[in-house]
Amino acid sequence: MNRRSRGSSSSSGSVGGASDSYRRRSDVPRNRSNDNNKGGDSADVSFIVGTCSSMCPERERVTRERLRDLSVFERLHGNPTESSSDLAVKKFCRTLSAADVQASDVRPLPVLEETLRYLLSLMDSREHPFEVVHDFIFDRTRSIRQDLSIQNLANERVIHLYEEIVKFHVISRQRLQSCSGASISSMHHLNMEQLAKTLTTLYNIYDVNRKPDYIYENEAEFRSLYVLLHLNTSSGVMGEPLSLWFRKLTSNLIKSKEMCFVRKLLRSYRNGNYRSFLRTTASEATYLQYCISEPHIREMRSFAVECINNVCYKLQPYPLLRLSQNLMMKEMDVESLCHECGLEIRTDSDGSIVLPTKQTNFCSPKEGFKNYDLIGIEVERLLCEDT
Amino acid sequence: MAYVSMGEAHRRITEYLNRFCDAVSYQDSSMLCRLLSFSSNSPSLLSLADALNVFQDASSLIRQSDKFSEYGEILAHLFRSLQSYRVGNLVEAYLAFEKFANAFVQEFRNWESAWALEALYVVCYEIRILAEKADKELTSNGKSPEKLKAAGSLLMKVFGVLAGKGPKRVGALYVTCQLFKTYFKLGTVNLCRSVIRSIETARIFDFEEFPRRDKVTYMYYTGRLEVFNENFPAADTKLSYALQHCNPKRERNIRMILKYLIPVKLSLGIIPKDELLQKYNLHEYMNVVQALRKGDLRLLRHALQEHEDRFLRSGVYLVLEKLELQVYQRLMKKIYIIQKLSDPARAHQLKLEVIAKALRWLEIDMDLDEVECIMTILIYKNLVKGYLAHKSKVVVLSKQDPFPKLNGKPVGS
Repeated sequence: MNRRSRGSSSSSGSVGGASDSYRRRSDVPRNRSNDNNKGGDSADVSFIVGTCSSMCPERERVTRERLRDLSVFERLHGNPTESSSDLAVKKFCRTLSAADVQASDVRPLPVLEETLRYLLSLMDSREHPFEVVHDFIFDRTRSIRQDLSIQNLANERVIHLYEEIVKFHVISRQRLQSCSGASISSMHHLNMEQLAKTLTTLYNIYDVNRKPDYIYENEAEFRSLYVLLHLNTSSGVMGEPLSLWFRKLTSNLIKSKEMCFVRKLLRSYRNGNYRSFLRTTASEATYLQYCISEPHIREMRSFAVECINNVCYKLQPYPLLRLSQNLMMKEMDVESLCHECGLEIRTDSDGSIVLPTKQTNFCSPKEGFKNYDLIGIEVERLLCEDT
Repeated sequence: MAYVSMGEAHRRITEYLNRFCDAVSYQDSSMLCRLLSFSSNSPSLLSLADALNVFQDASSLIRQSDKFSEYGEILAHLFRSLQSYRVGNLVEAYLAFEKFANAFVQEFRNWESAWALEALYVVCYEIRILAEKADKELTSNGKSPEKLKAAGSLLMKVFGVLAGKGPKRVGALYVTCQLFKTYFKLGTVNLCRSVIRSIETARIFDFEEFPRRDKVTYMYYTGRLEVFNENFPAADTKLSYALQHCNPKRERNIRMILKYLIPVKLSLGIIPKDELLQKYNLHEYMNVVQALRKGDLRLLRHALQEHEDRFLRSGVYLVLEKLELQVYQRLMKKIYIIQKLSDPARAHQLKLEVIAKALRWLEIDMDLDEVECIMTILIYKNLVKGYLAHKSKVVVLSKQDPFPKLNGKPVGS
């Protein structure tokens, strides 16, 4: 039975290579130049085939030079009025309609690939604070997605682009936490919003060209991110309840290692089993999964502190050392966490630091970005995967 | 396809045309229903279809008579649809039926009384079924299925027509249910929200006025939505309503309701009798229920694994997974009861070691840290009353009611 996610805002018809069979929506115009369909369908208006050969259309670059609308990354020798074809990258702008767009303004797939490669190389730039880097890449990748969508491109190379962009949003999510400033909170929110949109489009493209029983190389991992974004039933980042979402997955996907991992996490999370949650994350999470899990790690830890404070015998204060082992944290981080929860700690007669229980001041820590390291997570394993 | 002579074809078509127009003139709703019900594959409709395919120019017949030409547009589309349906051209059949439906709904609006409501129901039903078949055809030809989505739009339009002050409004719930079936099939369940809002808040609608059958179906679907969103008390109310008001002879429907009601009830601590499960062939829940009764965590996990596909497809898997905590509670109670028999004075002390041992018997390997974690959660969520003396590695149970029942409330509320 054909299962497909619907309701995505960006279209995802398909332009297959010669070896792909592909489907297209019969009421949606097709791309004439890649027409492999043997059926005699009427030739409708085709999607635009981009012809812009540089990262930024020339006329846009010239206009922005004149208007001094160049990002710091686009300035030649720091000059706010001069850029170059190596530095300028097409900006995102809300097009009014596809009819207003010219082919010369749209970048074909190879140029988009090159553009994304260039943008991602800036992630490690030390010259500018991360917020500035993020802001630039955020906007310019949005423009890449726009160009992909306008041309209705959907094949394995396109999948790779979307996957890289999702990665960018996920890693940004993590790195923005160590940034400060008034705008960080809204940046974070917008980042999550675009993460959701990119994931939705990615899932649609996975579905469009699917051969039966086939899953793409990274599909399981990227699907698993959806689960991690929806561990909490009341937080609908992308709107659909998990139970409904699981119905549509193919058997292959459900049995994949990545989906089994997140389902295990889901079970632990929903049953409040913080021990299992933290342990499983530490031993099995990929880098991307770990980044997305961070708010829940934090949540589980505060929950654990809340429970322990609530149920433990008052005459046996809980040693911080033990707590730190349970929560897989450094001792000083546990101290910090307890303070965030409004709980006091004290030093026992034999010198060990303990958490007195049955304190009445517990409060959930505020929505901040303080995340503590997950001790025990195999750092080497994570770094190897971070390509 | 049987051989039909031109003369015979002419006769059949004219007969149908007469029946149709008479049905409308005399407001004979049940006749009209029979004339429109493609999916019934009735011999008379099939033989009409054969006649149409032979005669080829039914429109001329329609035009020739004033009586027929009054409904010319409606009939022309209807005939085209039937012809395509007969030869298995389902996309074409759908497209023509859609045009017919639009034209029919226009006429329906003009009829003051609600006499044709049943016929309208048939049209709504047929369009959904045809759309599903058309989508199957599209998919098998490598094209994108979108007819069911289109049918959904048309059904919304019909809903709009019925959402007024007159007697036609009692039909709105039937159309709502067709919409639910459509959206559930498409997976666009969030679209149900707007119809639900209309039904439940618009002043023109009085829920009690609607036919019983539609109320049951409505509660079934809205109950299922509550299950997806894990609002168990609301799901319980709605699905229980559906169960109570469902015709007891409709065993298949009762089974469908129970399929969702049982996990909800289990989450509220209410366990069905085995006879119920057997009567309605719900054997997939037997081991789950048993696990809850015995505190057998291994059995619960095994049951979930065994029927994983089925539970995931119906959307109850996550609900059942959450029963783990209740199973743990039951296990603790068992340990307590056994201890009471051998050493009543110290029965209220559950050593973590002992719990770990019990779990090992169930082939579940858990270190003391995790056992402590589980006990902490059970106490926190009020499944166990007492406190944890972590240094002594023991849970001290409250002397009174150490294992409170859920009493119809979900865990942790």
